[in-house]
Amino acid sequence: MSDRYLAELEAELGAVGIRGSLRRRILAETADHLRESGDAAAFGEPSLIAGRFADELATSGARRVAFTAFLALAPAGLAYAVLLGLIRTWPDIASARLLPLAIATAVTIVLAPQVAFAAGVLTVARAWRLRSQTAAPAAEIVVLRRRAAVALGSGAAAFAGIGTYAYLYASGLPGWWPPAALIVSGAALVPIGGAAVALARNAQLRPQATGPAGDLFDDLAPLVDRFPLPLRGRPWRFCLLVAVAVAAAAFIAGGPDEGPRNAVAEFVAVSAAFAVLGRFLGLRR
Amino acid sequence: MRAETLKGHLDFLLLAIVADDPAHGYRIIEELKRRSAGTFDLPEGTVYPALHRLEQSGVLASSWAAGSGRRRRVYRLTARGRRALAGARREWRGFTEAVEAVVT
Repeated sequence: MSDRYLAELEAELGAVGIRGSLRRRILAETADHLRESGDAAAFGEPSLIAGRFADELATSGARRVAFTAFLALAPAGLAYAVLLGLIRTWPDIASARLLPLAIATAVTIVLAPQVAFAAGVLTVARAWRLRSQTAAPAAEIVVLRRRAAVALGSGAAAFAGIGTYAYLYASGLPGWWPPAALIVSGAALVPIGGAAVALARNAQLRPQATGPAGDLFDDLAPLVDRFPLPLRGRPWRFCLLVAVAVAAAAFIAGGPDEGPRNAVAEFVAVSAAFAVLGRFLGLRR
Repeated sequence: MRAETLKGHLDFLLLAIVADDPAHGYRIIEELKRRSAGTFDLPEGTVYPALHRLEQSGVLASSWAAGSGRRRRVYRLTARGRRALAGARREWRGFTEAVEAVVT
Protein backbone atom coordinates (compact mmCIF):
# COMPACT_ATOMS: atom_id res chain seq x y z
CA MET A 1 0.00 0.00 0.00
CA SER A 2 2.69 2.41 1.11
CA ASP A 3 4.98 1.52 -1.80
CA ARG A 4 2.20 2.09 -4.30
CA TYR A 5 1.36 5.42 -2.68
CA LEU A 6 4.99 6.53 -2.79
CA ALA A 7 5.29 5.54 -6.44
CA GLU A 8 2.19 7.58 -7.26
CA LEU A 9 3.45 10.54 -5.26
CA GLU A 10 6.81 10.34 -7.01
CA ALA A 11 5.10 10.51 -10.40
CA GLU A 12 2.83 13.38 -9.34
CA LEU A 13 5.77 15.35 -7.93
CA GLY A 14 7.58 14.89 -11.24
CA ALA A 15 4.51 16.11 -13.10
CA VAL A 16 4.58 19.44 -11.23
CA GLY A 17 8.31 19.90 -11.77
CA ILE A 18 9.62 18.64 -8.42
CA ARG A 19 12.61 16.42 -9.04
CA GLY A 20 16.08 15.67 -7.72
CA SER A 21 17.02 16.12 -4.07
CA LEU A 22 13.79 17.92 -3.14
CA ARG A 23 11.68 15.04 -4.44
CA ARG A 24 13.89 12.50 -2.66
CA ARG A 25 13.49 14.43 0.58
CA ILE A 26 9.70 14.68 0.25
CA LEU A 27 9.45 10.96 -0.50
CA ALA A 28 11.72 10.10 2.47
CA GLU A 29 9.59 12.22 4.81
CA THR A 30 6.40 10.70 3.43
CA ALA A 31 7.75 7.16 3.78
CA ASP A 32 8.71 7.88 7.38
CA HIS A 33 5.26 9.32 8.06
CA LEU A 34 3.45 6.36 6.52
CA ARG A 35 5.57 3.87 8.48
CA GLU A 36 4.38 5.59 11.63
CA SER A 37 0.73 6.18 10.73
CA GLY A 38 0.13 3.21 8.41
CA ASP A 39 -2.69 5.22 6.80
CA ALA A 40 -1.97 6.44 3.27
CA ALA A 41 -5.57 7.58 2.78
CA ALA A 42 -5.28 10.07 5.65
CA PHE A 43 -2.17 11.53 4.04
CA GLY A 44 -4.18 12.85 1.08
CA GLU A 45 -4.35 12.15 -2.64
CA PRO A 46 -0.87 12.16 -4.22
CA SER A 47 -1.99 14.69 -6.83
CA LEU A 48 -3.32 16.99 -4.08
CA ILE A 49 -0.09 16.79 -2.08
CA ALA A 50 2.15 17.30 -5.14
CA GLY A 51 0.02 20.23 -6.29
CA ARG A 52 0.17 21.79 -2.84
CA PHE A 53 3.97 21.48 -2.78
CA ALA A 54 4.24 23.13 -6.20
CA ASP A 55 1.81 25.93 -5.29
CA GLU A 56 3.38 26.82 -1.98
CA LEU A 57 7.03 26.48 -2.97
CA ALA A 58 6.51 28.29 -6.29
CA THR A 59 4.75 31.17 -4.55
CA SER A 60 7.27 31.73 -1.76
CA GLY A 61 10.20 31.02 -4.10
CA ALA A 62 9.03 33.39 -6.84
CA ARG A 63 8.45 36.10 -4.26
CA ARG A 64 11.96 35.65 -2.88
CA VAL A 65 13.44 35.65 -6.38
CA ALA A 66 11.62 38.92 -7.10
CA PHE A 67 13.16 40.67 -4.10
CA THR A 68 16.56 39.12 -4.82
CA ALA A 69 16.41 40.38 -8.41
CA PHE A 70 15.55 43.86 -7.22
CA LEU A 71 18.38 43.83 -4.68
CA ALA A 72 20.79 42.71 -7.41
CA LEU A 73 19.61 45.38 -9.84
CA ALA A 74 19.21 48.41 -7.58
CA PRO A 75 22.89 48.92 -6.63
CA ALA A 76 23.93 47.85 -10.12
CA GLY A 77 21.66 50.53 -11.57
CA LEU A 78 23.16 53.15 -9.29
CA ALA A 79 26.70 52.17 -10.30
CA TYR A 80 25.59 52.25 -13.95
CA ALA A 81 24.24 55.79 -13.63
CA VAL A 82 27.39 57.01 -11.87
CA LEU A 83 29.61 55.39 -14.49
CA LEU A 84 27.78 57.00 -17.40
CA GLY A 85 27.43 60.29 -15.52
CA LEU A 86 31.21 60.54 -15.22
CA ILE A 87 31.64 60.74 -19.00
CA ARG A 88 32.00 64.48 -19.60
CA THR A 89 32.33 64.39 -23.38
CA TRP A 90 30.70 61.55 -25.26
CA PRO A 91 32.70 60.24 -28.21
CA ASP A 92 31.20 60.78 -31.67
CA ILE A 93 29.21 57.67 -32.55
CA ALA A 94 30.89 57.52 -35.99
CA SER A 95 34.32 57.15 -34.34
CA ALA A 96 33.50 53.60 -33.22
CA ARG A 97 35.47 50.62 -34.46
CA LEU A 98 32.33 48.92 -35.83
CA LEU A 99 29.48 51.32 -36.60
CA PRO A 100 26.51 48.85 -36.72
CA LEU A 101 27.61 47.41 -33.39
CA ALA A 102 28.04 50.94 -32.04
CA ILE A 103 24.45 51.85 -32.95
CA ALA A 104 23.08 48.67 -31.37
CA THR A 105 25.18 49.34 -28.27
CA ALA A 106 23.98 52.95 -28.00
CA VAL A 107 20.34 51.83 -28.18
CA THR A 108 21.01 49.12 -25.60
CA ILE A 109 22.73 51.34 -23.04
CA VAL A 110 19.88 53.85 -23.25
CA LEU A 111 16.85 51.53 -23.35
CA ALA A 112 17.91 48.40 -21.45
CA PRO A 113 18.35 50.12 -18.05
CA GLN A 114 14.95 51.77 -18.40
CA VAL A 115 13.28 48.45 -19.17
CA ALA A 116 15.18 46.83 -16.28
CA PHE A 117 14.08 49.58 -13.91
CA ALA A 118 10.41 49.44 -14.97
CA ALA A 119 10.27 45.62 -14.93
CA GLY A 120 12.16 45.51 -11.61
CA VAL A 121 9.75 47.91 -9.92
CA LEU A 122 6.76 45.99 -11.29
CA THR A 123 8.30 42.71 -10.10
CA VAL A 124 8.61 44.02 -6.56
CA ALA A 125 5.14 45.57 -6.70
CA ARG A 126 3.62 42.17 -7.52
CA ALA A 127 5.76 40.30 -5.01
CA TRP A 128 4.67 42.77 -2.35
CA ARG A 129 1.02 42.33 -3.31
CA LEU A 130 1.39 38.55 -2.98
CA ARG A 131 3.32 38.78 0.30
CA SER A 132 0.63 37.21 2.47
CA GLN A 133 -0.46 34.51 0.01
CA THR A 134 0.72 30.97 0.67
CA ALA A 135 -0.43 29.63 -2.70
CA ALA A 136 -0.99 32.28 -5.38
CA PRO A 137 -2.73 31.42 -8.66
CA ALA A 138 -0.35 29.96 -11.22
CA ALA A 139 -1.14 32.81 -13.61
CA GLU A 140 0.08 35.36 -11.02
CA ILE A 141 3.35 33.49 -10.57
CA VAL A 142 3.91 33.25 -14.32
CA VAL A 143 3.64 37.04 -14.62
CA LEU A 144 5.93 37.53 -11.63
CA ARG A 145 8.55 35.27 -13.17
CA ARG A 146 8.30 37.00 -16.55
CA ARG A 147 8.80 40.41 -15.00
CA ALA A 148 11.81 39.20 -13.05
CA ALA A 149 13.24 37.59 -16.21
CA VAL A 150 12.80 40.78 -18.25
CA ALA A 151 14.31 42.90 -15.45
CA LEU A 152 17.33 40.62 -15.07
CA GLY A 153 17.77 40.15 -18.83
CA SER A 154 17.62 43.89 -19.47
CA GLY A 155 19.99 44.57 -16.58
CA ALA A 156 22.48 42.07 -17.98
CA ALA A 157 22.08 43.58 -21.47
CA ALA A 158 22.77 47.06 -20.08
CA PHE A 159 26.04 45.94 -18.50
CA ALA A 160 27.03 43.97 -21.58
CA GLY A 161 26.28 47.21 -23.45
CA ILE A 162 28.66 49.38 -21.44
CA GLY A 163 31.33 46.71 -21.64
CA THR A 164 30.98 46.80 -25.43
CA TYR A 165 30.88 50.60 -25.37
CA ALA A 166 34.17 50.67 -23.49
CA TYR A 167 35.72 48.42 -26.15
CA LEU A 168 34.32 50.36 -29.13
CA TYR A 169 35.31 53.80 -27.91
CA ALA A 170 38.41 53.00 -25.88
CA SER A 171 40.46 55.74 -27.59
CA GLY A 172 37.81 58.46 -27.17
CA LEU A 173 37.12 57.89 -23.47
CA PRO A 174 39.15 58.87 -20.39
CA GLY A 175 41.85 56.26 -19.80
CA TRP A 176 40.36 55.02 -16.52
CA TRP A 177 36.82 54.60 -17.88
CA PRO A 178 37.08 51.38 -19.97
CA PRO A 179 38.71 49.29 -17.19
CA ALA A 180 36.29 50.78 -14.63
CA ALA A 181 33.35 49.93 -16.91
CA LEU A 182 34.55 46.35 -17.28
CA ILE A 183 35.09 45.92 -13.53
CA VAL A 184 31.69 47.39 -12.64
CA SER A 185 29.99 45.28 -15.33
CA GLY A 186 31.67 42.11 -14.10
CA ALA A 187 30.77 42.87 -10.48
CA ALA A 188 27.16 43.67 -11.37
CA LEU A 189 26.68 40.58 -13.50
CA VAL A 190 27.52 38.21 -10.61
CA PRO A 191 24.43 38.97 -8.44
CA ILE A 192 22.28 39.36 -11.56
CA GLY A 193 23.43 35.90 -12.67
CA GLY A 194 22.76 34.49 -9.20
CA ALA A 195 19.22 35.83 -9.25
CA ALA A 196 18.74 34.43 -12.76
CA VAL A 197 19.79 30.95 -11.58
CA ALA A 198 17.31 31.15 -8.68
CA LEU A 199 14.61 32.23 -11.12
CA ALA A 200 15.39 29.35 -13.47
CA ARG A 201 15.10 26.90 -10.56
CA ASN A 202 11.77 28.35 -9.48
CA ALA A 203 10.49 28.23 -13.07
CA GLN A 204 10.80 24.43 -13.01
CA LEU A 205 7.90 24.27 -10.56
CA ARG A 206 4.48 24.12 -12.17
CA PRO A 207 1.91 25.51 -9.72
CA GLN A 208 -1.68 24.35 -10.13
CA ALA A 209 -3.77 26.92 -8.25
CA THR A 210 -6.37 28.57 -10.45
CA GLY A 211 -7.30 32.23 -10.54
CA PRO A 212 -6.75 35.40 -12.58
CA ALA A 213 -3.28 36.81 -13.27
CA GLY A 214 -4.17 40.34 -12.18
CA ASP A 215 -2.79 43.38 -13.95
CA LEU A 216 -0.84 46.56 -13.43
CA PHE A 217 -3.75 48.23 -11.66
CA ASP A 218 -3.95 45.46 -9.08
CA ASP A 219 -0.20 45.75 -8.45
CA LEU A 220 -0.19 49.53 -8.17
CA ALA A 221 -3.62 49.87 -6.56
CA PRO A 222 -2.52 52.25 -3.75
CA LEU A 223 -1.17 54.71 -6.34
CA VAL A 224 -3.66 54.16 -9.13
CA ASP A 225 -6.72 54.49 -6.91
CA ARG A 226 -5.53 57.83 -5.47
CA PHE A 227 -4.72 59.33 -8.87
CA PRO A 228 -7.05 62.22 -9.83
CA LEU A 229 -7.86 60.66 -13.24
CA PRO A 230 -9.60 57.27 -13.46
CA LEU A 231 -6.93 54.81 -14.60
CA ARG A 232 -8.17 51.35 -13.57
CA GLY A 233 -9.12 49.38 -16.66
CA ARG A 234 -7.59 52.03 -18.95
CA PRO A 235 -4.06 50.74 -19.64
CA TRP A 236 -3.42 52.98 -22.62
CA ARG A 237 -4.28 56.08 -20.63
CA PHE A 238 -1.75 54.93 -18.03
CA CYS A 239 0.80 54.32 -20.78
CA LEU A 240 0.22 57.81 -22.20
CA LEU A 241 0.75 59.41 -18.79
CA VAL A 242 3.98 57.51 -18.19
CA ALA A 243 5.25 58.24 -21.71
CA VAL A 244 4.54 61.98 -21.28
CA ALA A 245 6.26 62.02 -17.86
CA VAL A 246 9.35 60.22 -19.20
CA ALA A 247 9.44 62.46 -22.29
CA ALA A 248 9.22 65.56 -20.08
CA ALA A 249 12.11 64.32 -17.96
CA ALA A 250 14.14 63.62 -21.10
CA PHE A 251 13.29 67.09 -22.45
CA ILE A 252 14.49 68.79 -19.28
CA ALA A 253 17.62 66.65 -18.95
CA GLY A 254 18.56 67.06 -22.62
CA GLY A 255 18.45 70.85 -22.67
CA PRO A 256 17.49 72.95 -25.69
CA ASP A 257 19.76 71.08 -28.15
CA GLU A 258 19.00 67.44 -27.45
CA GLY A 259 15.88 67.76 -25.29
CA PRO A 260 13.18 67.74 -28.02
CA ARG A 261 14.77 64.81 -29.87
CA ASN A 262 15.26 62.80 -26.68
CA ALA A 263 11.71 63.53 -25.54
CA VAL A 264 10.22 62.21 -28.79
CA ALA A 265 12.49 59.15 -28.69
CA GLU A 266 11.51 58.37 -25.08
CA PHE A 267 7.81 58.84 -25.81
CA VAL A 268 8.04 56.41 -28.72
CA ALA A 269 10.16 53.93 -26.74
CA VAL A 270 7.79 53.83 -23.76
CA SER A 271 4.73 53.43 -25.99
CA ALA A 272 6.41 50.72 -28.08
CA ALA A 273 7.56 48.84 -24.97
CA PHE A 274 4.04 48.97 -23.55
CA ALA A 275 2.60 47.68 -26.84
CA VAL A 276 5.15 44.87 -27.19
CA LEU A 277 5.51 43.77 -23.55
CA GLY A 278 2.14 44.87 -22.14
CA ARG A 279 0.34 41.54 -22.16
CA PHE A 280 3.46 39.48 -21.54
CA LEU A 281 4.25 41.38 -18.34
CA GLY A 282 0.65 41.58 -17.14
CA LEU A 283 0.41 45.35 -17.66
CA ARG A 284 -2.89 44.94 -19.46
CA ARG A 285 -5.27 42.04 -19.82
CA MET B 1 -13.14 22.13 11.05
CA ARG B 2 -13.05 22.91 7.34
CA ALA B 3 -9.55 22.87 5.87
CA GLU B 4 -10.14 26.30 4.32
CA THR B 5 -10.85 27.81 7.73
CA LEU B 6 -7.70 26.33 9.18
CA LYS B 7 -5.50 27.29 6.24
CA GLY B 8 -5.15 30.94 7.21
CA HIS B 9 -3.86 29.97 10.67
CA LEU B 10 -1.82 26.89 9.84
CA ASP B 11 1.56 28.65 9.83
CA PHE B 12 0.92 30.13 13.27
CA LEU B 13 -0.14 26.75 14.66
CA LEU B 14 2.87 24.95 13.22
CA LEU B 15 5.31 27.51 14.59
CA ALA B 16 3.67 27.29 18.01
CA ILE B 17 4.02 23.50 18.08
CA VAL B 18 7.65 23.48 16.98
CA ALA B 19 8.50 26.32 19.40
CA ASP B 20 8.14 23.98 22.37
CA ASP B 21 10.33 21.24 21.01
CA PRO B 22 11.90 20.39 17.63
CA ALA B 23 9.77 17.70 15.99
CA HIS B 24 9.36 15.62 12.83
CA GLY B 25 6.33 15.93 10.57
CA TYR B 26 4.28 13.05 11.98
CA ARG B 27 4.73 14.28 15.55
CA ILE B 28 3.79 17.83 14.59
CA ILE B 29 0.55 16.57 12.99
CA GLU B 30 -0.27 14.38 15.97
CA GLU B 31 0.39 17.28 18.33
CA LEU B 32 -1.86 19.50 16.24
CA LYS B 33 -4.69 16.95 16.56
CA ARG B 34 -4.02 16.33 20.25
CA ARG B 35 -3.90 19.96 21.34
CA SER B 36 -7.03 20.80 19.34
CA ALA B 37 -8.81 17.66 20.60
CA GLY B 38 -9.20 16.49 17.02
CA THR B 39 -10.67 19.76 15.72
CA PHE B 40 -7.71 20.44 13.44
CA ASP B 41 -7.84 17.29 11.37
CA LEU B 42 -6.76 17.96 7.79
CA PRO B 43 -5.18 15.72 5.12
CA GLU B 44 -1.90 14.95 6.87
CA GLY B 45 0.20 15.37 3.75
CA THR B 46 -0.82 19.01 3.36
CA VAL B 47 1.19 19.93 6.45
CA TYR B 48 4.47 19.02 4.73
CA PRO B 49 4.27 21.65 1.96
CA ALA B 50 3.65 24.23 4.68
CA LEU B 51 6.68 23.01 6.64
CA HIS B 52 8.86 23.20 3.52
CA ARG B 53 7.56 26.67 2.70
CA LEU B 54 8.20 27.90 6.25
CA GLU B 55 11.71 26.52 6.02
CA GLN B 56 12.21 28.23 2.66
CA SER B 57 11.14 31.53 4.18
CA GLY B 58 13.62 31.13 7.04
CA VAL B 59 11.29 30.76 10.03
CA LEU B 60 11.97 27.02 10.37
CA ALA B 61 15.14 25.03 9.90
CA SER B 62 15.38 21.28 9.53
CA SER B 63 17.92 18.49 9.55
CA TRP B 64 18.00 14.71 9.39
CA ALA B 65 18.17 13.02 12.75
CA ALA B 66 18.83 9.33 13.28
CA GLY B 67 16.95 7.44 15.97
CA SER B 68 15.41 4.00 16.50
CA GLY B 69 17.02 2.79 13.30
CA ARG B 70 15.48 5.42 11.01
CA ARG B 71 16.26 8.86 9.64
CA ARG B 72 13.69 11.55 10.26
CA ARG B 73 13.52 15.17 9.21
CA VAL B 74 13.29 17.27 12.35
CA TYR B 75 12.02 20.85 12.23
CA ARG B 76 12.96 23.59 14.69
CA LEU B 77 12.24 27.27 15.03
CA THR B 78 14.90 29.78 13.94
CA ALA B 79 15.52 33.13 15.63
CA ARG B 80 13.46 34.74 12.89
CA GLY B 81 10.73 32.19 13.51
CA ARG B 82 10.66 33.09 17.22
CA ARG B 83 10.16 36.73 16.36
CA ALA B 84 7.44 35.83 13.85
CA LEU B 85 5.70 33.63 16.40
CA ALA B 86 5.83 36.35 19.08
CA GLY B 87 4.28 38.82 16.61
CA ALA B 88 1.59 36.34 15.56
CA ARG B 89 0.71 35.63 19.20
CA ARG B 90 0.33 39.33 19.95
CA GLU B 91 -1.84 39.79 16.87
CA TRP B 92 -3.96 36.75 17.72
CA ARG B 93 -4.55 37.87 21.32
CA GLY B 94 -5.58 41.33 20.14
CA PHE B 95 -7.92 39.82 17.59
CA THR B 96 -9.58 37.32 19.93
CA GLU B 97 -10.01 39.94 22.67
CA ALA B 98 -11.67 42.27 20.18
CA VAL B 99 -13.97 39.50 18.91
CA GLU B 100 -14.83 38.46 22.48
CA ALA B 101 -15.63 42.05 23.36
CA VAL B 102 -18.03 42.27 20.45
CA VAL B 103 -19.81 38.93 20.66
CA THR B 104 -20.16 38.42 24.44
